[in-house]
Amino acid sequence: MAVAGKTEVLLAGMGEIKVARGAGVLGCIGLGSCVGTLLYDPHAGALAHVMLPEPHDDDALRMPGKYAVSAVPALLKELGLTPATASRLRAILIGGAEVFQNRESTLRIGERNVETLSRLLKELRISIAFSDTGGHRGRSFEFDLTTAELVIRVVGQPPQVHSLSRALGRMPIAV
Amino acid sequence: MITELNALRQDALRELGNIGLGSAVTALSDMTGVLFALEVPEVYELGTGRFSRVCHSPECLVVGTVARVEGDWTGEGAFIFPWESAVTLWQILAGSAPSDLSELNELYESVIREVSNIMLGSFLNGLSQMTGFTLHMEPPVFAADMAAALMSSLMVEALYGQRELLAIQTTFRVPEREFQGFFLYLPEVGSLEKLFQTLGI
Repeated sequence: MAVAGKTEVLLAGMGEIKVARGAGVLGCIGLGSCVGTLLYDPHAGALAHVMLPEPHDDDALRMPGKYAVSAVPALLKELGLTPATASRLRAILIGGAEVFQNRESTLRIGERNVETLSRLLKELRISIAFSDTGGHRGRSFEFDLTTAELVIRVVGQPPQVHSLSRALGRMPIAV
Repeated sequence: MITELNALRQDALRELGNIGLGSAVTALSDMTGVLFALEVPEVYELGTGRFSRVCHSPECLVVGTVARVEGDWTGEGAFIFPWESAVTLWQILAGSAPSDLSELNELYESVIREVSNIMLGSFLNGLSQMTGFTLHMEPPVFAADMAAALMSSLMVEALYGQRELLAIQTTFRVPEREFQGFFLYLPEVGSLEKLFQTLGI
């Protein structure tokens, strides 16, 4: 995994779920109204690139990461947890912007994605350790499980680096 | 879904894209005095993994518009320009261009909206003449962002309420200049059947 000192980033494309155990870097590129939803356990992280709050048919069976209502249970499952044991997790939410502004027929999908995810996490008593959501700009991010460092990129701005070890309530994983 | 469209229907969609965008590009040429070359339209399923390449990297800066189309063939019409191409349009139509995103103002945004307005309007006129359809559009809304964020937001909105998404995409260029524009029409799949019936295929 480590190539010339740089860890490969596991990127979750639209509707996908990616999991890293132990060390690893998880990320999403170009989140507009989509929300990168990362659940963090001291020894693992699971990330879904959520596109819509809920499915209109059985599509969630095909691609659970695509919808908020199916992504959260799928992430728990990936981490080997049940709703009863989920409260030990911490969540990171990034995205949910309205890239096209002042739309008459706006569906407010970004906002509704974030609302739905926040409600689902609350029901499972998973606290949100960090969120950068809403607004009008798309975001890319990478989260390093080893260092608990989060880098967010927005077009036309220098990357923002956040150290989340404190917010995640635990020491970074010793490697 | 694209696999369910027979060759004749795929050809018909490509031809509609070609004719519709032909009149749109003529309108843009009239505005700018520049001749644009059209590429053969592509008809494809806009899946979650696929963006047709609108620029070299998913994080490169693009500007674009989207407008809702109502009537007999509902959908979303969108234009996307890589930043460098938008600069070319601004220089021709506004006489100046922002040097970066921080200089982007209402004037420059309105130039792109107006270009989209005229082009999509001509596209829909072309379609109306061919099909007899009644089509009208909302005013285009503007965005400037990384390509992947803009494309994915566009796709998610068009995908809302339907399972799969079909894109009719046409690229137009100015051969001797740094200019490339992309037009996408994302029809509501339910409205396709009416189109095919009208065309008798």
